[in-house]
This record gives sequence, C-alpha cells and structure tokens, in this order.
Amino acid sequence: MDEYTTLAIIAVAALAHASFQLSISMLTLLSSHTIGKKNTHNNLLLRTHAFVIGAGVMTLLLISSLALVLSYIYSATATPLFIWIIGCGLLTGVGISVAIFYYRKEAGTSLWIPRPMARYLSSRTKSTSSSAESFSLGMVSAISEILFTLAPIFIAAFSLVQLHPIWQLVGIAVYTIISLSSLIVVNCLISSGHSISKVQKWREANKRFLQLASGALLIILAVYIYVEHVMLAVALTAAGEI
Amino acid sequence: MDNQQSTGVIKRAGKRATEEFDKNKVFSSVQAACLSVRSPEGDADMIATIVSDLVDLWRSTRYAVTSHDLRRVASDHLKDLAPEAAYLYKHHQLVL
Repeated sequence: MDEYTTLAIIAVAALAHASFQLSISMLTLLSSHTIGKKNTHNNLLLRTHAFVIGAGVMTLLLISSLALVLSYIYSATATPLFIWIIGCGLLTGVGISVAIFYYRKEAGTSLWIPRPMARYLSSRTKSTSSSAESFSLGMVSAISEILFTLAPIFIAAFSLVQLHPIWQLVGIAVYTIISLSSLIVVNCLISSGHSISKVQKWREANKRFLQLASGALLIILAVYIYVEHVMLAVALTAAGEI
Repeated sequence: MDNQQSTGVIKRAGKRATEEFDKNKVFSSVQAACLSVRSPEGDADMIATIVSDLVDLWRSTRYAVTSHDLRRVASDHLKDLAPEAAYLYKHHQLVL
C-alpha cells in the first residue's frame, strides 16, 4: 500500500473524528459563558483558542502514544492481520453505536454520555476563567470523547506505523489538523462575531444527519480496511498455497 | 414590584437542597443569556429586569416551585423579548 492511500485512510479516520460533537458542545458552552460574564472579546479569543490548542495537543499525544504501542506489536508480530481485524471490529461497533445512540432523543444536542459526567464537564466549563484552564479543558474534552474516537485513532495510528518516519510526521499532522477542523470552524465563527445561538440551532437542526454521516463514515472505513487488508491477505495466502 | 412572600425552589427534582427564591439569580441568568447572543448591555439589563419581575410575580402566589418551572416561565417571557437568548436560556442544559 503506497503512502497516499495510507494518508487517505488517516484523513478519512480524522474526518470521522472531526464529526464527533463533545468538544464542540464544550467550546459552545465555554464561549457562551465567557461572553455572558461580560468578558472582553480578547478574553474570548484567548480562551477559545487555548481550548482548541488543548484539544489538538491531546489528540496529538493520543495518536502518537497509540502509534508507539502499536509499533512494538507490529515489529514483534509476523503478520499484523489480527490488528486490522481488531480495528475493523472497533470501527464497526462504534459506527453502529454512533448511528443509533449518539444523540439523546430530547431537544438540544445532549449526547449519550453519563449524565453525571455531562454535568461535571458543564460545570467545569462554566467555571473556567483563564486561558490556562481553557487549555486544560480542551485536553479533557479530547479524553472525554475517547469512547467514540478510539476507533478512528486506532486505525490512523496503525496506518501510521507502516509509513516511513518522515511520512509518519506528515500523517500525524494530517490527522490532528483534520480532526480539529470542526472545532476550528466553530471557533472562527464565534471569534468573528456570529451568534452562538445560531451555531447551536444549526447543530440541533442537523444533528441526525451528522450522527448518520459519522456512523456511515466509520462503517465504510471498516469495510474498506477489511477488504483491502484482511480479505486480500487471506486470498493471497490461499492462492500461494494452491 | 417586590413580593415579600418567600418561595422554596426545589432543585433537580429534590436531588439538591431546596433554597429560597432569589430574584437576582433570575436576573443574572437572563442577563447572561442576552449577553451571550451579543445583545447590547443596556438591552440585556432592561430585558433581564422585565423577565425577573414577571417571574417574581408568578412565583409570589406559590409556596414552592421547581427550578425547571422557573426556567420554563422565564424562557417563555424571554421568548417575546429576545427569541435567540430564550433559545440559549431554555436549552443551556441540553448542549452537552
């Protein structure tokens, strides 16, 4: 498999990551509370930018750490077929779960996460009063989403392992930037003076579409990887034996 | 108009301690919602005063209300004055 195909897989996985909404919800809440407390626009910019950078740093750390762990497994194993199968299973499981359960049925954009956790994140977001806290909050948001993002991060990390070291850096950058793209867009909208209620209304109006799109993206990626890496390897082995 | 009769506010269906109704809390939360949708400060103060007065009047005939009721009544009044702010006010707990 060439570098471009691998990078394309990483980009699609990052796109699926970008479609998850927990960090975006937290950014929306953070902006709403910051403006509501009569902070200056500079303060708003500092906090929202710090939040996005925090989320980016944590995503970078997560994918790099997982890639490191997988690189040890990869070098110690003759065939990485079982890792691809685990990855496909994760993608399919998360994809189906997201397509069915991701948003709660009530109004708004509340997610299928434990309510005490949602309340804690909400109260932490509300009490954030500096850019350093916002940075930490961004990091926490990336960790809180890990139940959903683990599958795309896993696949991207394992794809990275098979690249040349220079391409690995490119792959990490591609994944981090694309996975942050939705946060960056919302941050730009808020920073440029758009109303938070309009952003929130758009998210609520399109939540079912976003849910279906991210679920479908994960399942399509799983099918592609299964055919490309698992079925092909099995077919080639069988052909060799004949 | 100030209503002297005290009213208990039952929070989160009784899971948190009941507390006295505080008009200033309603004022601050409505004002914050208005500012969040980038209403000018003067408008936000005026709208928050009107809404908190109306909520105060509504609760004055009751011995106890729930925090959910307060939010619903406040957002109903706010909807007429600032629909965008009312949307945020009503749904702020449903963002996450």
